[in-house]
Amino acid sequence: MTTQRVLRLSINGQPVEVPSPPERILLDLLREDLNLTGTKRGCDLGTCGCCTVLLDGRPTLSCLTLAALSEGKAITTIEGVSSGTNLHPVQKAFVEHGATQCGFCTPGFVLSAVALLRDHPRASRVEVVDAISGNLCRCTGYTKIIEAILAARPGGSG
Amino acid sequence: MHLDPFELHRPVSIEEAVRLAQELAPGFDYLAGGTDLLPNYKMHLNLRPHLIALDQVPELQGHDLDRIGAMARLADLDSDREISTHYPGLAQAVHGVATPLVRASGTVGGNLLVETRCFFFNQSLFWRASLGYCLKADGDRCYVVPQKEKCYATFSGDLAPALEVLGAEVDLAGPDGNRRLPLEDLYNAEGDGIQRHHLRPGELVVAVQLPPDARRRRSAYLKLRPRPSFDFPELGVAVALERDGNSLAALEIAVGGLETYPRRFRSITDGFVGGSLSGDRIADLARAVQGAVRPVHNTAYPPDYRKRMTGVFVRRAVTSLWEGREAS
Amino acid sequence: MATTPERDLRLLGGSIPYIEGPLKVSGRAEYTDDLKRPGMLVGKLLRAPWAHARLVRVDTTKARAMPGVFAVLKGEKYPTPFGVLPITRDETAIAVDRSRYIGDIIAAVAAQDELTAERALAAVEVEIEPLPEYADPRVGRERVDAPIHEKGLNHSNLQKEVVQHFGDVDAAFRAAAATVRVRASFAGVTHAFTEPQCTIAEATPDGRLTVWSSTQVPHYLHRSLSEVLGMPMHRIRVVKPEVGGGFGGKSDPLPHEIACAALALETGRPVKILFDRDEVFYTNHGRHPTHNDVRIAADAEGHLLGYDIEALIEGGAWSSFGTVTTYYNGVMAMGPYRLPSFRYKGQRVFTNRPPSGAMRAHGGTNIRYSVEVGLDELAEKLQLDPFELRSRNALPPNSTTINEFRVTSTSFRKCLDVVRERSGWADKWRRLPYGQGVGLGCGFYISGSASPIHFTPKMPQCTVHLKADMDGGITVHSMQADIGQGSNTLLAAIVAEVIGVSLDRVHVSPVDSDITPVDIGSYSSRVTFMMGNAARKAAEGLRDRLIEATHQLTGYPREAIRVRHERYEVEHRPEVGATYLEALHQALEGTGALQSTGSYTSPPVGGSFKGARAGTAPAYSFAAYVAQVTVDDETGVYDVEKVWAAFDCGRPLNRLAVEGQIQGSIHMGLGQFMGESMDYRGTRLMNPSLLDYKIIMPHQMPEIECLLVGADDPEGPFGAKEAGEGPLVATLPAAANALYDAIGVRFYDLPVTPDRVLKGLDRRRAESRLWKGH
Repeated sequence: MTTQRVLRLSINGQPVEVPSPPERILLDLLREDLNLTGTKRGCDLGTCGCCTVLLDGRPTLSCLTLAALSEGKAITTIEGVSSGTNLHPVQKAFVEHGATQCGFCTPGFVLSAVALLRDHPRASRVEVVDAISGNLCRCTGYTKIIEAILAARPGGSG
Repeated sequence: MHLDPFELHRPVSIEEAVRLAQELAPGFDYLAGGTDLLPNYKMHLNLRPHLIALDQVPELQGHDLDRIGAMARLADLDSDREISTHYPGLAQAVHGVATPLVRASGTVGGNLLVETRCFFFNQSLFWRASLGYCLKADGDRCYVVPQKEKCYATFSGDLAPALEVLGAEVDLAGPDGNRRLPLEDLYNAEGDGIQRHHLRPGELVVAVQLPPDARRRRSAYLKLRPRPSFDFPELGVAVALERDGNSLAALEIAVGGLETYPRRFRSITDGFVGGSLSGDRIADLARAVQGAVRPVHNTAYPPDYRKRMTGVFVRRAVTSLWEGREAS
Repeated sequence: MATTPERDLRLLGGSIPYIEGPLKVSGRAEYTDDLKRPGMLVGKLLRAPWAHARLVRVDTTKARAMPGVFAVLKGEKYPTPFGVLPITRDETAIAVDRSRYIGDIIAAVAAQDELTAERALAAVEVEIEPLPEYADPRVGRERVDAPIHEKGLNHSNLQKEVVQHFGDVDAAFRAAAATVRVRASFAGVTHAFTEPQCTIAEATPDGRLTVWSSTQVPHYLHRSLSEVLGMPMHRIRVVKPEVGGGFGGKSDPLPHEIACAALALETGRPVKILFDRDEVFYTNHGRHPTHNDVRIAADAEGHLLGYDIEALIEGGAWSSFGTVTTYYNGVMAMGPYRLPSFRYKGQRVFTNRPPSGAMRAHGGTNIRYSVEVGLDELAEKLQLDPFELRSRNALPPNSTTINEFRVTSTSFRKCLDVVRERSGWADKWRRLPYGQGVGLGCGFYISGSASPIHFTPKMPQCTVHLKADMDGGITVHSMQADIGQGSNTLLAAIVAEVIGVSLDRVHVSPVDSDITPVDIGSYSSRVTFMMGNAARKAAEGLRDRLIEATHQLTGYPREAIRVRHERYEVEHRPEVGATYLEALHQALEGTGALQSTGSYTSPPVGGSFKGARAGTAPAYSFAAYVAQVTVDDETGVYDVEKVWAAFDCGRPLNRLAVEGQIQGSIHMGLGQFMGESMDYRGTRLMNPSLLDYKIIMPHQMPEIECLLVGADDPEGPFGAKEAGEGPLVATLPAAANALYDAIGVRFYDLPVTPDRVLKGLDRRRAESRLWKGH
């Protein structure tokens, strides 16, 4: 076994120190070491997007990210999207539009959508589709997810 | 799925990276964005005990219209309007890579050197053990074209064809110093899915250089794949041309996703430069390129279909560019 | 007992956001893999790398001796076979004596961590004797050397054969003015839910076993655990956390769930088994790879005279739901049309490939494809508009099919009328330019099997308990499994509707066999209809207690008391009454917390011949879809641009959920049509990954117009029927018939990938047959 090193990470604005071997994957660190289980494990190979987190604001596959290379970057997980128990507008829109069914892919979609609307508050439908095209959903046919994201734009879908 | 233990090195300069590489060779891999390497490691494909991460090497970062650092993120190219304005083919290729999530981590250098793919190779350890390993990982035979000499894994990068037709060169750094090569010379045109490039031991890609005349070229990249995201190219056709009045002043075609390296067609395209293009001439060109490619059955679509689409894509791309339209 | 008036619904019939939505969007919903138990070990499964082998020796000695390894189990310790159908129990937790497909479980390890568990698996020594491999269902039907199961019919790999004949099919074909024949093949497809299977089991010194599992059928799992482990059910507790999608893939009790429990018993420690994604594909239980051959006869006016159908379905290594599937591949052709004669021969054959089972629109999808494509061809032969042909044959309400299905409500005709109108069919069909087309596809599906999979004793299909206490909250207990389809929300909404309270007063208890009364699970589209009726009855029981309390408080007769929002009041005297809380507190006097029970038992329906129960349901859903496509005839790439989906689910109780089911069904149906395929070379699955198994992307989704046209069903809760599976079946033939309208090519092999489109065009051109001038 290789030696562990203490990683200094910033997760949801909170500095944390986690002893970790170099091969530790960020997804495993979040779920197993920190109990941040909102980040989901769907395939472990970058082919579903359930494990999406924001790394310096950018939607990223935590299953293909070495935890050690995340030092010095701001990590935002789904747990950091809402403030306390108050949902983010994107989350509210997902609830209101029925954009979750089984919910397993939902945290990933929410993070992709939050980042999109932060950078492109007036994103078009095409841009929304593009932004979520790394997240698989097997329940909704994406329809209500797209509707929810469009509705979450400032000023809504109209 | 976990990763087997390895040592992680994080050099802060090219010199340090190359020195580490020299020390550790051949027991290391360079790690760029990780979106290709780490899934392969999770599937126990050709593991090395050391990883040299390149994320802290400043010389590899950044991009502009003349130079693209090897560690430039695909997402940064994707959102750069200068790139899409001046190099539309490159922009199409970048945008077509995998998914936004992959492009967030994935790098230009990583895509240029993306591992060749094959459905006998890109499988779990269990799957490969159950069949018997192949030439490309742990075994001694090829299952695509049954024999024991040559690997037919498919070159699956999108950027290389798009950059080659712009006349791109690559800067390399290694234990024996720095050198610059035409990008197409980076790849092994002998056709081998394992010895797929001409990098020397310890050598790494520093940057891609684009010549000034690249901006004059009209360019396009057309990608065939089952789904508009996620999928690697089943075929990627890059075309760049210059039109001078009614004369074709330059024509470059590169095709990925079919063979073990991005194919070029100088002997075909040279015959068209200097003349005018008509529908018939373009059809001849397309037929000739189609006739020259040799896909094998190791991706989602059957090879005869990918071959046939090569002709269609070449014709469409050349026609659009000749007529000054955007190709899609 | 008074029933709630259907007209005046406050909640039901509208769009009700899912009650667990806030937890799911914030990452706070708990799925099995999110749970940890103290001292929990990692369980891993050794899977067979051979397609078919006799296990001569499985030696676990070395593996067991490794540090950090707590148990290594092989099959012989728990050899009792189990299966979702009591009549075909043939799976074991871990293979005994023989392994039957690449991926079959041959040993299980519990270790301190994943790495140790994997090393232990590698240290298990297995000696085998290879057996003949069977990969093609067409060749296993006769006597074979080494049948995959001893119980195969006549020493063959034939698992089940169904022969049915109603009316006189031969006479029908002799009398026919037109006949068509469709021979089609369908690749297997799989559920590909996003949450990989996960199970945690924990045995405790009080003699109990608790199992948390990602399952659609906690009750069947409960029974299977008891049978295989030899423990009475009351000492086993099954908990279903949130489930990340099922679609039928978690509707069997699965071997790993039992193996996990066995490891927990063996070690005395909690054990978690979480699948890697490739294990999800090997476990499969997806839609059967199918060959079918459908002949249709009609008279000159287009009245259907008969169907003659053969279906060969590939079962893979286990029986699973296969006996039912074998019937369904015939009887799901029984609607939505009147049919005077019907003959069917269905065969299900074992192969050494991952097991097939139930997947959304189980048994109905492939046969409906062939029938609906056949009807499109028939309409063309008879020079009828496809709508006209279907309209002439539509089953009327309150009819009985020739195989004695009782059909009560159907708005199929209205589906046809509305979808024809909304899609602009009259201006489009055969009128759009070459390369563009529209197509019609229709379907029906069971709203819950009236003949539930019951072991003994006979019980209701489901039971719902309510508890209301002084806090004013109402807790609902039911073992119905919400797997994302919104059944918890519906359960809460029905209760709130009937009792007249705000939705936030109703709390749906997690599924826990210690607490929640039996419901046999989320499959066969049974939940809305059956749970809905049970919930309604339970809620009416509670409501009547509150009416009684209001009567006591006001002195007005019970019949005069009306349920309003959060208030019970006297009709025509709204100022007289009690708030819900006042009534509740009155009702609690002397008794404490109120409880109420409701259950649902399906009515006796169906004939008495052998196999008559297959496909019987208390109600059926109906669908008529129009798809519009554009085809690139040089590349074969096509775009399904729009689907108009007219659907009869009776009264939609939650529009959000019904639309979600239709949209999701179209996604899954188009996936099967356009590209999803379990690709095999021989016995080997070539694409066990979400990269290589091609689920369609948002760009490929058509615009969807949901047209909910159903009339109230007489027996459904508030008039509702199912909407979870029926919306899938019409999708595929609508797309196929639209492709035909666009380019004049029929497609008989699914999936219809672009290379196949091009081959089809080549064939048409080779025949010099022009289509729309091309």
